[in-house]
Amino acid sequence: MNIDSRAVVRTPEQPALRSGALQLKEVRKRFLFDQRELTVLTGLNLDVHPGEFLSIVGPSGCGKSTLLRLIAGLDDDYEGHIALDGSRVAGTSLERGLVFQDHRLFPWMTLEQNVAFALIRRDMSAAARDRLVREHIALVGLSGFEQAYPHQLSGGMSQRAAIARALVNEPKVLLLDEPFGALDALTRVHLQTELQRIWMSQGSTMIMITHDVDEALYLGDRVAVMQAHPGRIAHIVDVDLPHPRDRAAPLLHRLKDDILAELTATDAPRSEAVVPLTRRRSG
Amino acid sequence: MSAALRSYGAGLPARIALGLLVPLALILLWDHQARHGGEHAFAFVSAAQVAGALRELWQSGDLLTAYGNSLRNAFGGLFWGSVTGLAVGSAMALLRPVDWVLTPLYHGLRQVPLLGWLPLIGLWFGSGDLSKVIVVSLSAFYPAVLYTYEGLKGVEARMLEVGQLYRLTPWQTFWRIRWPSALPSLFTGLLQSVAFAWIATIGVELLFPTGFGLGTVMQHGQLQARLDIVVVCIAVVGLTGFAINLLVARLSRHALRWRPVRT
Repeated sequence: MNIDSRAVVRTPEQPALRSGALQLKEVRKRFLFDQRELTVLTGLNLDVHPGEFLSIVGPSGCGKSTLLRLIAGLDDDYEGHIALDGSRVAGTSLERGLVFQDHRLFPWMTLEQNVAFALIRRDMSAAARDRLVREHIALVGLSGFEQAYPHQLSGGMSQRAAIARALVNEPKVLLLDEPFGALDALTRVHLQTELQRIWMSQGSTMIMITHDVDEALYLGDRVAVMQAHPGRIAHIVDVDLPHPRDRAAPLLHRLKDDILAELTATDAPRSEAVVPLTRRRSG
Repeated sequence: MSAALRSYGAGLPARIALGLLVPLALILLWDHQARHGGEHAFAFVSAAQVAGALRELWQSGDLLTAYGNSLRNAFGGLFWGSVTGLAVGSAMALLRPVDWVLTPLYHGLRQVPLLGWLPLIGLWFGSGDLSKVIVVSLSAFYPAVLYTYEGLKGVEARMLEVGQLYRLTPWQTFWRIRWPSALPSLFTGLLQSVAFAWIATIGVELLFPTGFGLGTVMQHGQLQARLDIVVVCIAVVGLTGFAINLLVARLSRHALRWRPVRT
């Protein structure tokens, strides 16, 4: 997991410089819904610094997940400009990793095979591949479970495995779409600490969407607060505390109160009423 | 059934014993009817007579020859039916124009009972082994197409997205995602194909008078009013079907061992 190993296994899809500066300019996304046009995101400007941890919080239906899918390149039908290190995002790329809320491991593959799946398009020797897979399974603390099938893993372990799969390509940017949203509170706290450790050891830029303001503040260098109808970034909160952090830090609590007040005050009843129930989970 | 028994702690021997309960009771009833059935007794033959017929068929070598011929037709038909079914089902699932052109035709043809094809097939291909294998192939073909189609169509979009994320080629997407995710359905199809192929094999032997298979022996037995021979054939057909079914189920459980055990 050092700079040298990256130099050896690089491919055309994995350019030399691992910087990870993400730039969004006037991004707008519209869907056609029942013949009506629905603006999901509008006027979205964002500069994510290399190596930064950015959290995004916002009410249901504010387009958080849509935003992440645009950055990941799963959906490239948008207006405006999204660029990673100066080159425009078009389609998916191994430079941009994504962890979904559901782990999306393939049930027919072992943990090891699932992690190695991310390397299918990488041109590297079997030995280098095995080493990367082994290292990343160790990174998320799952050594010893290489041969386990997903149904044999707990929810938390599956999500760790999904993180290992997303990181094994050593992406410039790791996108996390409510990665701990489906886990119980205890496991969630534990994995937040783990993610902080992983981020500090990796140096990837990370962007995480969450409903959990505590989580957003504990991990984020900055927290972007989004508003719905149409989805936009209301403002960005700087969390000026060094990592690793103490959950009990007074600053985190003060900021939490501010953000919660903002999220609950403005047009909350309206957003609840307008967003169809079935779409709320996807944010 | 098996799950409930497992939870009550019944082991394999106990389950086998329970599975034999009803067949044994039926055999005893049958034997009783044969010996004390009065005016109906002619329709039943005693266990001793059946055993005699079995010995007779075994010693003449007829049973083995017929069994071999039937198995050959069954497996030939199963092979061709499954392979073409797999190909056609895949094409229908993966290529939209093929889906549009073939799927309605398939669902139309599927409604025609296999027996309905016999006159035509007999006319075109004669009544030899070729026709038999074609009929058996057809019986295996229908489930193979259906379950291949359903399996490949049923791949979850969320799984395909993972492939998109890691930039898989269409070919890699097929082999690494679509195919394994269709496997459970493919095995369900195979299980049905096997069962139908075996039934069709015996059926077509009963209806096409040429060749020499278990169905032929059965029919000769019927014509000579040798009910003991018919019973021997029924038993052999039943046991064989049971054994093949068990084998495929085992195979499928091994291939799908990544699935959680359902209790």
